[in-house]
Amino acid sequence: MTDKTMKALTRRGALGLLGSAGAALMAPNLLGKPAFAQTKGAPSGRIIVGLVQEPTVFNPLMVKIEVDDGVHFSLFDALFRFTPEGELVPNLATEVPSQANGGISEDGKEWRVKLRDNVKWHDGKPFTAEDVKFTLELIVNPKFRAWRTAGHSLVRDIKIVSPTEITWKMEKPFSPYLSFLTETFIIPKHAFDGVADPNSAPFNQSPIGTGAFKWDRRVAGDRVELVAHADYHGEGPFLKQLVFKYIPDTTVHYTQFRSGDIDLLGRMYITPDNYKDAKTLPDRIIQLQPAPSIESIALNLERPQFKDLAVRQALYAAIDKAAIIDAIYYGVPDSVESYVPRSSYYYYDGLPRHEYSPDKANELLDKAGWKRGRGGIREKNGVRLSFKNSTTSGNHLREQMQQFVQQMLQQVGVEMTIENMPAAVMWGDFWMQSRFDTAVVGITYLIGSDPDVTNRFHSKSITAQGGAGSNNVQLKNARVDELLEQGTALFDPKQRKVIYDEVQQIVRNELPFLPLFAENYIHGRKKGINGFKPNGNTRTESWNAAQWYWAS
Amino acid sequence: MNAISATAIASGRSRWWRSRATQRFMRHRLALIGILLITVLALACAFGPYLLPYNPLQIDIRARFSPPFTGNHYLGTDPLGRDLAARLLEAGRISLLVGLFAMILSTFIGAVIGVVAGYRGGWLGNALMRFVDAFLAFPSIFLVLAMAALLQPSPVMITVIIALTSWMEVSRIVEAEVRSLREREFVLAGRMLGLSGTHIMFREILPNAVGPIIVAATLTVARAILTESYISFLGYGIQPPLPSWGNMLNGAQQYLESAPWLAIVPGVAITMAVTSFNFIGDGLRDALDVRNDHH
Amino acid sequence: MFVFLLNRLWQSVILLIIVSIIGFTILNMIPGGPLSQYALDPGMTAADLERLKEQMGLNRPLPIQYLDWAWRMAGGDWGTSYRDGQPVTAVIGRHIFATLILMGSSMAISMALGTWIGIRGATHRYSIFDYTATVGAMVALSIPTFWFGLVGIYIFSLQLGWLPAGNMYTIGNETVLGYLQHLILPSLVLSLVHVAVWSRYMRTATLDVINQEFVRTARAKGVPEKRVLMKHVVGNALLPMITLAGMQLPQLLGGALVTETVFTWPGMGRLFLDSLGYSDYPVVMGLLMLSAILTLLGNLIADIVVSMVDPRIRLS
Repeated sequence: MTDKTMKALTRRGALGLLGSAGAALMAPNLLGKPAFAQTKGAPSGRIIVGLVQEPTVFNPLMVKIEVDDGVHFSLFDALFRFTPEGELVPNLATEVPSQANGGISEDGKEWRVKLRDNVKWHDGKPFTAEDVKFTLELIVNPKFRAWRTAGHSLVRDIKIVSPTEITWKMEKPFSPYLSFLTETFIIPKHAFDGVADPNSAPFNQSPIGTGAFKWDRRVAGDRVELVAHADYHGEGPFLKQLVFKYIPDTTVHYTQFRSGDIDLLGRMYITPDNYKDAKTLPDRIIQLQPAPSIESIALNLERPQFKDLAVRQALYAAIDKAAIIDAIYYGVPDSVESYVPRSSYYYYDGLPRHEYSPDKANELLDKAGWKRGRGGIREKNGVRLSFKNSTTSGNHLREQMQQFVQQMLQQVGVEMTIENMPAAVMWGDFWMQSRFDTAVVGITYLIGSDPDVTNRFHSKSITAQGGAGSNNVQLKNARVDELLEQGTALFDPKQRKVIYDEVQQIVRNELPFLPLFAENYIHGRKKGINGFKPNGNTRTESWNAAQWYWAS
Repeated sequence: MNAISATAIASGRSRWWRSRATQRFMRHRLALIGILLITVLALACAFGPYLLPYNPLQIDIRARFSPPFTGNHYLGTDPLGRDLAARLLEAGRISLLVGLFAMILSTFIGAVIGVVAGYRGGWLGNALMRFVDAFLAFPSIFLVLAMAALLQPSPVMITVIIALTSWMEVSRIVEAEVRSLREREFVLAGRMLGLSGTHIMFREILPNAVGPIIVAATLTVARAILTESYISFLGYGIQPPLPSWGNMLNGAQQYLESAPWLAIVPGVAITMAVTSFNFIGDGLRDALDVRNDHH
Repeated sequence: MFVFLLNRLWQSVILLIIVSIIGFTILNMIPGGPLSQYALDPGMTAADLERLKEQMGLNRPLPIQYLDWAWRMAGGDWGTSYRDGQPVTAVIGRHIFATLILMGSSMAISMALGTWIGIRGATHRYSIFDYTATVGAMVALSIPTFWFGLVGIYIFSLQLGWLPAGNMYTIGNETVLGYLQHLILPSLVLSLVHVAVWSRYMRTATLDVINQEFVRTARAKGVPEKRVLMKHVVGNALLPMITLAGMQLPQLLGGALVTETVFTWPGMGRLFLDSLGYSDYPVVMGLLMLSAILTLLGNLIADIVVSMVDPRIRLS
């Protein structure tokens, strides 16, 4: 995708975010109905999606990981959804509420959502506002092992006006909630009638949704099989069967795609080392898609070495990002400066570009008074410029990159030792309580594609200092705090963009992490598959499986 | 020192090279091959790195994935363009040392527990042996992996972990041996002379169990090298950039098609080292006439 | 006999308790925990994680957690997998088949091959065959299993293209033949070590029997060599072999772990590694207990068989 088309698309996305009534009417067409779908008649054929992790959570409200989303998008619907262009469109709702259309009150506290009246659950029962109320209440049920509760915990006084209309109050204006609702799948109230413990409801293992596909069966440890839901309220489905196949190894995952056993590659897609080979495969379509995740070296700002901005700048200048991307990652990812993914409307393009210059790094350190001492390692006031770098062990490309960085830093008198750990150890208290020196980490900063990053950069989100959030680098910046607080109270995307542009600039200047690159997912599918459309605003490639069909 | 032990030690020390055991060992062709192999390997690892033109940590991204015999890269290069030969020898130092020290540590632990259990007997001996049984009831790889996840995987830690999971056999051997020796004359004599329990256990009895211990220890080195390679291969062992034979193989599967030498070379080294220790152990077993009832 | 069994049972229970305490302590001392997989999820805050910890009972004191686990275990409830939300027994159950089929086939290969090599080595003592087999066995015991697997994949999958490089079956070709194709390489690799061990034991056992009176008598009577061997040697040596099999069972489980990793075989070894990686303690503990039980069972069977074969050893 070229820069030009991306910008055009995001601009259109901005219009959608305004939530005009027109968008609601346009929605079905926006979803890309295949030109000759009508001639296809009944759903037919099967697509096998390969996944490297196993989907195991089928209650979409319970704590889950990305790979579960792929199945949820096919089984369930949320009130709204994001198009690949970043446009917010209604799904179970009939329009996206905004201050302009009266769905959200002027003070941002009162919300009103109108629902479709033609939606049926997979078991034939009608979908109503009762189900929405049940869903929103279950999430904040203290006994329920819910996934994130951010936003939901602000909801008060849910009222059912009619089967197709629901209202609630927010404790304070919180604009990101609109985006969060695109990842909040609605589940049926009647499936929980008489269920004492929602954590162990039968529904959790044989879900009922409103989505384009119905639950068929799960062969645990191997695959999940879904079948077409004939009464789906939207377009499609055009497939008779959708299979999510679990292959626990990236190499085999790719081999099975090459041999044709898998029709479409899901998470983790094609690994960069196989990209070149993949492009030569006959009858396969290989496509790069900007991923929301940003790979960076996170610095623990409370460590004495990193309190000095000059050190952070010097480290950044000493790292040859281009060489890392080209040599180790086969040129697949893109160098970035911001934490906001490029597919977002809020991406700010004007940040200063990284320049690789060991000379500049040396100069910065010399000027700041870091003198070379024992073993050629710089030090200042008794603090040695020496630190540990950690990440998940067993990630080969990352381990190569670490060793490469290690050597580059050595050249400017900085000692970096590598200490990797198994995932569960790495991302436990070690990460959450900021016990690392530096960490190589891929983070998706935006929650549900909303630009709010309070959780990552607000000073009250530092867990290690008694806060509640994921500001693991411990950034403390009064201006950032102020901007973030303003941003969540604003509903107008244009006004919000000004705010988040400034946040991006401050973060880039402060360098709480050294941004390395934004991943590009390498999607692969068989040539005959139509309707596939990667969507950077969701966490899964299978968000629109309803639209997939085989060319006949 | 009493007369009995003095003669026992003297007979053990005097002209060991003329003893029957030594002669039997020298006739064991495999054992000699083993000695030769491991000597060559150890010398290469000790001095080789100084003779090679490359530093094992020197990254040269342009030379990545060079096949063997590219320029001065006799064994090719790895994904970061580091010389594989230099890394192999550097890794050998670590793997061999880990194996060696794991053996020393585990033999020590095993001998102490075995002697105490065998000599004291009673509830203490029983409790100690049940403890041994409990450790044996774990498949060792499970235990090793769980502990590697718990502790920081530095070479020292890996050595300790391997030792902590491989002492049981020695303690069983020693316990059996000590129990059978406990009522022998020289021990009884020592007791009558009023020697302390510790003295009798470690100065009088233990030297008599040295044969089986040496055999078990040799085989423990072999197994320790293998165990290190297993856990490092699975990513729980020695962490990069420090090379070990096992972690050089970690990730090699990914490049099996494009750079097979990455997988083949370290594996040959491991097999060579382990084989030679197994050969030596076999020779020692025959030479020291240790019953072949442990495996 | 009955007293013996009762005694052993009692001892085994004590052993299992020790094993479980050691295992539980080590596992729970590993920093991190089952919730760290959600730590990188955008929007999952430390508060969310704390709430989940509370809900899942993970912030109770360790002894309480252990007693809770042990009490349920004693009642037959192996717990629920954190990752999967399904009972541990079900999770293990669906991986056990893959491991059993791999272990079974490798056991069959190593028994057949090992028996043949062992007997032939014993009857042709000091021949080139015997010598090669002896050396070969020792080398085989020295090869890292996973590396042997890598070499196998390189030769037979990548270079020759005869056999698949991994997995248990190919989607869409779930036939017996397809399964067999996938089974060949991993089971051969796994049997390498065991052929070596079996052949050594078989050789020793055969040598023991060959020199015994009744075999010499039979031979003197003019019964053909082969018949004598088959009837007496194999018949007599096989029983101790079964003992060995019993004792090797848990080892095989460990060996299967690496083999399963190399060949992405969906068995218990992989399950253990995955579960350990996710800190899915209930599953890891379940696997630990299962293998400990198997070990004790194997030892018990071995003891009983030995006592039946050798009347000098009485169970007491």
